[in-house]
Amino acid sequence: MSTQTQNLRGPSSIMGTVRERLDKTQIGGRPPSYYLSGWRLGVFFLALALLFPLVTDQTLQVTAISVGVYVLLALGLNIVVGYAGLLDLGYVAFFVVGSYTVAVFTGGILQRSDGTVAEIRQFPFWYLLPLAALLAGLFGVLLGAPTLRLRGDYLAIVTLGFGQILPIVFQNVPWFFGQLGMSALPPPDIGPISFSDTGNRAPFYYLTLLLVVLVILAVSSLRDSSLGRAWVAIREDETAAAASGINLVRTKLLAFGLGAVTGGIGGALNASFLGAIAPTDFNFGISITILVMIVLGGLGSIPGVIIGAMLLRFFDVYLLGKINDTVHSSPLVTGDGSPLHFLATLDFNTAKYLIYGLILMAMILLRPQGLIPNIRRQRELAGIGAAPEGVSAVGLFEQEVAGEELAAVDVGEQTEYVGEGSEALGREDHV
Amino acid sequence: MTTSTVLLRLTGLTKTFGGLTAVDNVTFDVQQGQIYSIIGPNGAGKTTVFNLITGIYKPTAGDIVLGGQSIAGLTPDRVLRRGITRTFQNIRLFNNMTVLENVLVGQHTRIPGDLPSVLLHLPNYRRADSRAHARALELLRFFGPALVARKDDYAANLSYADRRRVEIARALGSTPKLLLLDEPTAGMNDPETAEAIGYIRTLRNEFDLTILLIEHKLQVTMGISDQICVLDYGKKIAEGVPAEIQRNELVIEAYLGRKAPVE
Amino acid sequence: MLVLAAGSSVLFQQIENGITLGAMYALVALGYTLVYGIIELINFAHGDVFMWSTVVILAVAQALGLNHPYTGLALIGILLMLIVIGMAVSATINVSIERLAYRRLRKAPRLAPLIAAIGASFILENVAQLWRGAGFVSFPGIFPAGGITLSGTFGGTLRINNLDIFIIVVAVGLMYGLARFIRLTRLGKAMRATAQDPEAAALMGVNIDRTISFTFLIGGALAGAAGVFYSLYIGQVWFFTGFELGLIAFTAAVLGGIGNIYGAVLGGFLIGLVQSLAIAYIPSGVAWSDATVFAILVLILIFRPSGLLGQQVPNKV
Repeated sequence: MSTQTQNLRGPSSIMGTVRERLDKTQIGGRPPSYYLSGWRLGVFFLALALLFPLVTDQTLQVTAISVGVYVLLALGLNIVVGYAGLLDLGYVAFFVVGSYTVAVFTGGILQRSDGTVAEIRQFPFWYLLPLAALLAGLFGVLLGAPTLRLRGDYLAIVTLGFGQILPIVFQNVPWFFGQLGMSALPPPDIGPISFSDTGNRAPFYYLTLLLVVLVILAVSSLRDSSLGRAWVAIREDETAAAASGINLVRTKLLAFGLGAVTGGIGGALNASFLGAIAPTDFNFGISITILVMIVLGGLGSIPGVIIGAMLLRFFDVYLLGKINDTVHSSPLVTGDGSPLHFLATLDFNTAKYLIYGLILMAMILLRPQGLIPNIRRQRELAGIGAAPEGVSAVGLFEQEVAGEELAAVDVGEQTEYVGEGSEALGREDHV
Repeated sequence: MTTSTVLLRLTGLTKTFGGLTAVDNVTFDVQQGQIYSIIGPNGAGKTTVFNLITGIYKPTAGDIVLGGQSIAGLTPDRVLRRGITRTFQNIRLFNNMTVLENVLVGQHTRIPGDLPSVLLHLPNYRRADSRAHARALELLRFFGPALVARKDDYAANLSYADRRRVEIARALGSTPKLLLLDEPTAGMNDPETAEAIGYIRTLRNEFDLTILLIEHKLQVTMGISDQICVLDYGKKIAEGVPAEIQRNELVIEAYLGRKAPVE
Repeated sequence: MLVLAAGSSVLFQQIENGITLGAMYALVALGYTLVYGIIELINFAHGDVFMWSTVVILAVAQALGLNHPYTGLALIGILLMLIVIGMAVSATINVSIERLAYRRLRKAPRLAPLIAAIGASFILENVAQLWRGAGFVSFPGIFPAGGITLSGTFGGTLRINNLDIFIIVVAVGLMYGLARFIRLTRLGKAMRATAQDPEAAALMGVNIDRTISFTFLIGGALAGAAGVFYSLYIGQVWFFTGFELGLIAFTAAVLGGIGNIYGAVLGGFLIGLVQSLAIAYIPSGVAWSDATVFAILVLILIFRPSGLLGQQVPNKV
């Protein structure tokens, strides 16, 4: 029953082992873990990140920017899934809102219902960024509101539905050019800083970095606040949380809204960077990709989801192609009569989602807390956290529901949020 | 003799679930400063009454009035803001939060929760948060320095008795007027029970509380209560001081004479 | 009245179509509801389990060179074989997912099995896609055309294909068999007991693990049967059918009342009818798409989450 200090990570944590080994030496009177923890580590990486464009060329910068967008999205989804424990499968909707906001108002054109093009006033990107964030946040609240009383399974499906419907709506209303999307969006030049040079993407890179840093700071701040505690509380036990004064509706809507804001920022940035939007890219695949990133990296862990986003993008952009080439040219596969011959025609790029599925299953079964876990989530997900009385013969799948036919036994912890006779509504326990 | 004010008044409180009437026309008053117990056989509806008072259920009929204002049908967090908190029969702590964090959550309403505050940690937020931390330690200290020493332990790791204490400390965070304790000595052995009786009394005195208690152990109830209400099958069958209740035939029959509870 | 008369043949035809489709939806919906009733989990991958039946029997049909309508004993033999294979495939996959993933995650926070289910769904879909490609693959027409044509009093006609009759009869037969099974057999009682109160059931000697696995087996088998019918009916196999049909069937299960097997059947037929009628009567601007089904689902969950028949099977106290 040792007291757990801030720096103590469980033995199964990669960082923990690294830290233990490094602590044997001393630098400037302190063990290296002093420098490698918390904000100091962050500053270290920030310094590296700032120097990045000076040593890399345009293609790497472009990749880094795209990674940055995904990092933003991962940080946002982490609020909803990682902190509040609400499985939102429709996160792409907010990315879409952000993208369209920028596309419409920087591009300055809309389509009339008769098909002709109408010109509207163009606004600079810098006004639109906060607008995109706000609109996305609004959508977050709107799409989250119907799900508030639903249990996890149903919440997931409903959000999935919204994530499917919203992009379709945007594509099918007459004003946004349907599937063609919009292009030739003006770059966000401001003052002397020009974003137009396609040979030097450093300005966009620094913009991305700035946004990422701001979001990290914001999310950390939220996590360490009473709101952050409230999120963990409702994830642990909604009924006890409400009984402790937490307004469930407000707290959940804040999770949806704030997560959505980040999605909107990511969408805005992405649209501006690409100078275009391609509506056919806005699909469930993005929602799933982000989910895989945060599960891989570590639910509820800021460094975790960042690493997860980076790893998965790296995999997507580089590894997948390399694997494809290697396998296709390997003699094991191309050799005559080889049993692996079917691999020669297999395009690994289309296998991407198969691999995502495998990652999801592998992670959730083998290391649910992710690669770089958050301590609390590690306890919770790796199964250490259940209180002795809480575990029964069949496990935590029991749901206490107010039903039509109750026996004459005192009905214990049942919430009106369940409603009578309904399995769909319900309190979240240990999500 | 000073006239006490009525803090909580239940009038004709009724709750039905489909075909089952869990609480049937229950009426009683709780005076300010009392320790008021609700007892009754299993399935009598006691916890349902608690759930109704704290907003987990909406009454089917009847009213619940706190200090002159009706609170029937308010959501649990609103009920807390009116001054009522509770503990649960099977202790519902946030297992993957530390002891200190659990008690801090109890003070959620005392810390500004608006977006600018939580995002930017504005000065008044930080002051309130700091005060909440200090008060959390104070509340833990009420139960002794041993509990304070465990403030950074995860709630799941505590002994049963300690978990109960933490739950109470959490419930005290918002300085309630009325504290509902649902079987606070369940699962405790005799010395632990005696200690619990002790601190319940002290709680009432030190924190200026009114306490509503559900308790199965009759020695506890008889020893500690100012007034007792007996429920059976959702109905109130008796009310009075311990001495009266002990002699009440209906009560005796309810406890001893009934058949095994229906499954 | 005149309008009704003129359109009545369309109406009745669509009703007939709706019932046929509904029978298949009901079978898949039963799978969702059985699993939900017993472990309170939405088996995300259930639709893909259905899809795999279609994919495998297509392969079997192609391997055996079945490419024309058969009759008589040959037809019966082939249908029997395909149904058995389809049911076996889906049952096996369903049970495997349960053993590999859900069982191990029973004590985990609710998020975990959900994520595992999503992962399983993706794996199933994408392996099928890699095997069969991303497009529609046609399923040979082995069921003979032909049926009954009824002439209505108002001059309309109603066409009932033999295939439709076959599907409805066998599907309803399976549903009836399921109902009897659950009522009368020991295993059926064990399923009901586990759904109501797992702890008490365990104390009574019910092997919970086996009962749950068996539930997945039955649910899978029903979906597998539906897969055979669907392939014959639609004449096409597509790796993504699972998602779409799964969504429809899930909505049906919720509409009828999740956890309630009669609800699943009712919901299935209702949704089948609604779909057929919508396609016929609503202008194409409001296409029957995933979006429409989702909208229906969301509306149900907001306004009447307990569905039409409430939920009578699981009674948790």
